[in-house]
Amino acid sequence: MSTALQPVDFPPAARRSAFFAGALGLTVIVALGLWRPAHSFRSYLVAFLAWLALPLGCLALTMLHHLTGGRWGMALRHIWHASVNTLPLLALLFVPLLVGMGYLYPWAQPEVVADDEVLRTKQLYLNVPFFVVRAGFYFACWLVLAYFLNRWARRSPSTADGEEPRCFRLLSGPGLALMGLTVTFAAIDWAMSLEPHWFSSIYGVMFANGQLLAALAFAVLLTLMRGPRLDPDVQRDLGNLLMAFTMLWAYLAFAQLLLIWSGNLPEEIPWYLRRLDHGWQWVALSLLLLQFVVPFMLLLSRAVKRDPRKLATVAALILAMRFVDMWWTVAPAFPSESPLWRCLDLAAVVGIGGIWLGVFLGALRTTPPDLVVEELPHA
Amino acid sequence: MATEVHREVHEQRESARPPLIGPGHNFATVTDKISALALSRPTSRRWWLGFGFSFALVMLLLLAISHLLVRGVGIWGINVPVAWGFAIVNFVWWIGIGHAGTLISAILLLLHQQWRTSINRFAEAMTLFAVACAGLFPLLHMGRPWYGYWLVPYPNTMQLWPQFRSPLVWDVFAVTTYLLVSLMFWYVGLVPDMATLRDRSTHRMGRIVYGVLAMGWRGSARHWQRYEAAYTLLAGLAAPLVVSVHTVVSFDFAVAILPGWHSTVFPPYFVAGAIFSGFAMVLTLVIPIRALYGLHDFITARHLQNMGKILLATGLMVAYGYLMEAFAAVYSGNPYERYVQVNRMIGPYALMYWALIACNIVTPQLLWFRAVRASPVALFGVAMVVNVGMWLERYVIVVVSLHRDYLPSSWGMYSGTIWDWATFLGTIGLFLSLVFLFIRFMPVISIFEMRTLLPEAKVKEELP
Repeated sequence: MSTALQPVDFPPAARRSAFFAGALGLTVIVALGLWRPAHSFRSYLVAFLAWLALPLGCLALTMLHHLTGGRWGMALRHIWHASVNTLPLLALLFVPLLVGMGYLYPWAQPEVVADDEVLRTKQLYLNVPFFVVRAGFYFACWLVLAYFLNRWARRSPSTADGEEPRCFRLLSGPGLALMGLTVTFAAIDWAMSLEPHWFSSIYGVMFANGQLLAALAFAVLLTLMRGPRLDPDVQRDLGNLLMAFTMLWAYLAFAQLLLIWSGNLPEEIPWYLRRLDHGWQWVALSLLLLQFVVPFMLLLSRAVKRDPRKLATVAALILAMRFVDMWWTVAPAFPSESPLWRCLDLAAVVGIGGIWLGVFLGALRTTPPDLVVEELPHA
Repeated sequence: MATEVHREVHEQRESARPPLIGPGHNFATVTDKISALALSRPTSRRWWLGFGFSFALVMLLLLAISHLLVRGVGIWGINVPVAWGFAIVNFVWWIGIGHAGTLISAILLLLHQQWRTSINRFAEAMTLFAVACAGLFPLLHMGRPWYGYWLVPYPNTMQLWPQFRSPLVWDVFAVTTYLLVSLMFWYVGLVPDMATLRDRSTHRMGRIVYGVLAMGWRGSARHWQRYEAAYTLLAGLAAPLVVSVHTVVSFDFAVAILPGWHSTVFPPYFVAGAIFSGFAMVLTLVIPIRALYGLHDFITARHLQNMGKILLATGLMVAYGYLMEAFAAVYSGNPYERYVQVNRMIGPYALMYWALIACNIVTPQLLWFRAVRASPVALFGVAMVVNVGMWLERYVIVVVSLHRDYLPSSWGMYSGTIWDWATFLGTIGLFLSLVFLFIRFMPVISIFEMRTLLPEAKVKEELP
């Protein structure tokens, strides 16, 4: 039986080309940084947040699955584990942002704060030392959760009756609550505070849901591309889950848009004005169509959910649009730059993405195919 | 294949769990036991006592409504600035309670959660009754309920159209749709059981009434096939409604730019709150009924455990909503937003705010402990506290936000009058009366769906 439990497998060449592309992208960004550091850091931030969604979403999905169970998760679990294992890399990749804070965040620029009464009242929360301490706390939480989940999973966790050890569930409940809070405040700190006058209390929920959607689409895509054939029922469940998270994305996006549009308050509406002008309106339209309408319509169809190739295509579309969504959410915060000027963001996405994928594929090779199933006596 | 291993692991885990139906049951005993509640069991004195008490409260409701129609809404405590008082608080509270039914029936059905089977019928009935109570309040709040049809858009000689930009009009559509779909869903699910009762009833009247309600159901293969298709379709229709209704209710508040109401987190947080209060009410009703009618075999400890877990999870989401509201107020730097938060915590209604925190955030944390989830008495206690807490939540949102807004010159205070309380208690009586009638005359648990949970109903599927 164990021969059938092939992990999702990629040739070593894939890793090499990922690292190569990553090195190339990062070189472009560093070169740009020597010339225009502000632009370089902006691109880097967008790419960092977009890729961070994958390990964090996978961490949350792992814990969610420990709590709910269900066959849909067992097929994806080793991908989640490998992805979670890349968190130390992302902690490392966060360091350049600490260097570039002054270029990115208006509240970190003393001369801006001095002229702005609202920012002065916000200094209690938005100040450099507290920001650094909070970031350290978020990463510490995520790394500790990832460490224990992986450790227990490696330590032959299955008992003879197939019941998972209780420690997983005992950690996952509080772990998910902690994830909810840390992801929310990380979203506020790292993305929302780019426009420090603006605030929206749904922002953290949108961010967390985006991460779950990205991580699920990523794991489904990889499994369908390279993994063992899925049971048709499981495949349909995965399609339905993708649809559910897609609908949730649309729901949250619509809720925020409707409330801010109808309120039309001077402290809230600029966020949308910036994102619906200078060419960004076309990006917004593409989000509406390709992040929601098209995947939703396709996932309604049973035929699409049954065909691995079609389902993989939808998952790939959703995953690609996650990057566009992150770009649309974060990049317009930087004043009056049209999407065309921001093509260099792609270099950062390739740069961080290449390195991340390389490390991820390495982790995938060393992660047992299915951490629980493999240890079963009859497997 | 790996997938077969996954299937085996899954089945092993499923069988390792406690069963969803007590030992020693077969097709006949399940049918006997549940149908006996409606058909042959004598009406107990306790039932009459409970029904009589609830019905007395319905009389109180009728009195309160009559007085209202004669005198107008002035008999209530509403004033300027607090133009929305008990009526809206109660409306939101009841409509929230009505959410568990459809969630259990539709969403858990689509998620293949089999444990829903013994509680779905009951929860759906509860939904209908709660929505009926909720619907009363906006009608009465109009003062002239006989003009209620003006809310419906239709071409008329007055050239009068509703204000489509107002969430209050969206509410009319959302709640009506919800009521209709829930009613259909509940009724379609009842049809096979109505036929069972028709066939087993020894009373002529029973045979006629159940027979009409069964709509000629004979249980043929074609009937079952059509039934399954219709039921799944209705579940698919009902699932988005679970979210849409309370989202629109949250828009009632959040579309206004009043501090304390205008918060983007309102839609998801209202939906979570609705499910939270719905499950609390299901537990409040199920636990006594299970004990009084000896339904331990069908509503097992595992059912109560699962509902306890959902209560905890949704309670944490509600706590997240409170936290985000408070944080956004502080973070915004907007003095009005900040003042609302301060006024909630230390203003004239501070006691209600802290009671709400104690009920909705502190108490549900007990559910982290397995001992609490395993004890029906403790679960019942937590659920009761949550019922109160969710009412307080709406009171704090409606009254505390309204009573002090931008202009200190227009600040005021609010408290419910005796007629506010009479109407509120009256709807509780209406709700309970309907529940008592339902227990007496309908199968409280879906008979045919319970039969599918029995071991002999499992047909081993051949793997392709």
